[in-house]
Amino acid sequence: MSGPEDTMPEDGVTRDDPMIAAEWSLGLLEGEELLAARGKYATDPNFAWRKEWWDDWFAPLSDAMPGAEPGEHVWDGIAARITPQQGTPGIAGTAAPAGNVIALEARLRRWQWVAGLSSAAAALALVWSFVLAPSRVTTAPPPVEIAAAAPLVATVPIGETGLRLDVTYIPESERMVIAAIGLTPDGVHDHELWLVPTAGATPQSLGVVAPGEVHSMALPHAVAKQLGSGAQLVLTREPIGGKPEGKDAGPVVAKGAFSPV
Amino acid sequence: MAARPRPSTDEAREALREAMARLAAGDQTALEEIYRATRVKLFGICLRILGDRKEAEDALQDVYVNLWQRADRYDPARASPIAWLAAFARNRAIDRLRTGKVRGGSVPVEEAAPLPDESPLADALLVDAEQRAQIHKCLGALDDRTQGHIRAAFFEGMTYAQLAEAADVPLGTMKSWIRRGLQRLRACLEASEAA
Repeated sequence: MSGPEDTMPEDGVTRDDPMIAAEWSLGLLEGEELLAARGKYATDPNFAWRKEWWDDWFAPLSDAMPGAEPGEHVWDGIAARITPQQGTPGIAGTAAPAGNVIALEARLRRWQWVAGLSSAAAALALVWSFVLAPSRVTTAPPPVEIAAAAPLVATVPIGETGLRLDVTYIPESERMVIAAIGLTPDGVHDHELWLVPTAGATPQSLGVVAPGEVHSMALPHAVAKQLGSGAQLVLTREPIGGKPEGKDAGPVVAKGAFSPV
Repeated sequence: MAARPRPSTDEAREALREAMARLAAGDQTALEEIYRATRVKLFGICLRILGDRKEAEDALQDVYVNLWQRADRYDPARASPIAWLAAFARNRAIDRLRTGKVRGGSVPVEEAAPLPDESPLADALLVDAEQRAQIHKCLGALDDRTQGHIRAAFFEGMTYAQLAEAADVPLGTMKSWIRRGLQRLRACLEASEAA
């Protein structure tokens, strides 16, 4: 959990969630703490509310930052990245507002799907828009592309215990953060986390979950590239050390699915 | 700060709010409107945090593309649109800084300066005056040292480690200072909300 300096008794400051939200809002967090905060934002409405509360309060400070004019190509780049929606029914103002909502949902779904692609695919999409943008292509617009790294999160509730696993995946770095806070080792079992990229696909082991810890791991590229929105996570109960070679996996104790933050 | 009052301020603010609503409903033309109205301010923020024009332009692109993709996240009942956009831009810039793509550092003043006066909305884009006064008041109530570190975090995008190094104190000390400051800041801001 927290390092020794985080719990210094003499400092008299409790590092509760509102404090972590403040630290994040200021931009002080980095590394795993930052990833854990992002995961919490997606799964804990109180924490999300508090983060936005701090953001709102700090926002006026930015009035002291002098404005600056960006290059003209910036808008062209933005336009090139957001225009693939022609041909989507309802977008061209022909449909009723309801049609727009449906089109928006379709766009969101498509984006959610795209957001799950590996960074390699995202890089490819970037190349596409780079190649296509300057010539202002009118026929074939570039594919929908994601902006920077949109983290994916999954919450895996564990039975009726109120315990849960928070899993955050950062496409850009192909890293996953697993927070199994509240889980305690029973000395007999380990829990192993599995990725099921699409329904019916072969589960891939993401390893044994460390109870009570926030754990960050790099995903092998082959695994990462299958990880998208809707990918399922399954937690099984196994002997200590995880599923033995050549044996079937243990009982499924929890499930969850990824969705974008 | 003491900008000449312009009659169009409220209208401009309202126009921005309305454009945000249209954007959330999927109206693509709203994005260009929002870009024209807010690019100077948001680019200033990205530039300040990232300290590199090219990086800041990339970040700015991400900000608006992201805004287009997730316009539904903005809750008009919650924050003023410009406050929300400013925080959104700063968050994206900080993300970029933290993912190690940029070396970071603040912008030399000369580089950040030239702002054409062709942006009629500039005054309207100042965040709500009352809110601005309150945060400055609560920050001002902290001791100078703590206040300075919190400001450096906000304006330069510095981490605990960087602040500790700059002040030549142990990391734990810097964390304690800032956390004590944030605790008092929260109490002060909450008291103002309750009032």
